[in-house]
Amino acid sequence: MGRGMLDVYTWEPNANSGKPLFCLTEKQVPFIHHYIDMGHYEQFSPEFLAINPDGTIPAIVHDGFVMTESTPAMEYIDDAFDGPALRPADPYRRWRMRQIMRYMDNIVAPSLAMIASNRLAAPRFVGRDPEELRRELDRIPLPERRASWEKLMFNATPPSDLEESRRRVSEAITRFDSLLSQSEWLAGDSYSLADINVFATFYGLPLSYPDEVTDAATPHLMRWLRRCHARPALQEALAMGRGFITQRAAELRRLLGVGEEMAA
Amino acid sequence: MIAFHHSPASTHSDSARIVLAEKALDHASHEVDLASFEQHEPAFLAINPSGMVPVLEDEGHRMTEAFFIMLYLDERFPDPALGGADPRARYQVQKWGKYVETHIAPHLVIVRWAERGGPLEQDRQQGFDRLPPERRALWQQAAAGFSAEEVSASREALARAAQRLSQDLEHGPWLAGADYTLADAAVFPHVEQFPALGIELPPAVQEWRARVAARPAVRAAMDGLKLLPVMGPERGRWG
Repeated sequence: MGRGMLDVYTWEPNANSGKPLFCLTEKQVPFIHHYIDMGHYEQFSPEFLAINPDGTIPAIVHDGFVMTESTPAMEYIDDAFDGPALRPADPYRRWRMRQIMRYMDNIVAPSLAMIASNRLAAPRFVGRDPEELRRELDRIPLPERRASWEKLMFNATPPSDLEESRRRVSEAITRFDSLLSQSEWLAGDSYSLADINVFATFYGLPLSYPDEVTDAATPHLMRWLRRCHARPALQEALAMGRGFITQRAAELRRLLGVGEEMAA
Repeated sequence: MIAFHHSPASTHSDSARIVLAEKALDHASHEVDLASFEQHEPAFLAINPSGMVPVLEDEGHRMTEAFFIMLYLDERFPDPALGGADPRARYQVQKWGKYVETHIAPHLVIVRWAERGGPLEQDRQQGFDRLPPERRALWQQAAAGFSAEEVSASREALARAAQRLSQDLEHGPWLAGADYTLADAAVFPHVEQFPALGIELPPAVQEWRARVAARPAVRAAMDGLKLLPVMGPERGRWG
């Protein structure tokens, strides 16, 4: 399929924003990167809502075809562009790859997002004018998103929800370590979309979960993280951030003893 | 030979059954009685610890999650091909497979439970302790009952999902465009329940529904509407 125009709208290169970027750099597909600053609610700006009326990030536009679901877009990128295959050929292995991504998308990533946003974003709203916060809430198109932001802004996430999220993340850490004790990569012998999906959310675990993710406790997960962080394509995409992610990735490489593969 | 564990009262089962029928795949059929909570019995939990249908067994592998089973069947038995003719159609297929999980099924179960559920007898709850925590939490919530706000929010979400379907049907007779695909099979059994729950379908969706329903494989796979109150997938995506 022809290259054509490829525009990618993301925030910092992690989580859902990281998924398409990591796939595109791995396949060495050129694209125009548009940085949407979620810190300034740019995802709710009229310009961005014209591209994605849901106001969610990322958005990928290929020759006028708009994609706003990150995991389906990962499959599209592997499907539509040349470069190394990021999905196993065997149908059962593919099932496994998709099952891992589903577990990540439905159970693990939302839990980590809840924990991280309560720790990092919630303090920003303390002491702010409630009327002003309400006006900001009204700009969020999707009701379920609005509900999550409301909890965050008014510090109303139930402690039991946070506790359950912590349990889910810990369980995922154990599960992935066990999976990686059986095979080199998450879906089998080759690097796949499952690795990219999990890495996009788990790349920073040795820093954020220093007691749980260590060479002693999770040797297989640590080996996998080192191999991921050493991939030039992931380093290239992690360098596309403007905020803390790029710095954090460099800090992680030092912590893990991974060399800088990139020239820059 | 393929073994297929399913229930006629499960919309997710129906989606996968449609694909088995479209491809005329011979298989051993194992029905699970959701009305008596057989899915929480140890015998079925040994097959799927989450206590969910459908489950597909093929070549020594055991697979769960209806949409991924459908993709597996299409990749392993490509005739007739239902995955979409080009990358754009295939993205649409993936998108609707995902939307069933995020925008449709979790809301459908809440509305259906509110209509048909009600208090759950104690003996029906015995299996909850055997479930993984995510599933147990969902069932306990259902047993306690969903609030009026939750039910009305889910009703609105389903109405919006119907609008999304209508928007995509502007581009062709099927959800992925020119050809009937897994997207149609994945969505259809769920939407089939909307009218009985009082959720209106836009004209384009009504016409699409008639097109899907007219397919011989769909007629063979769907044997009558059953609105059994059972839990679907957990709601993903936070924030």
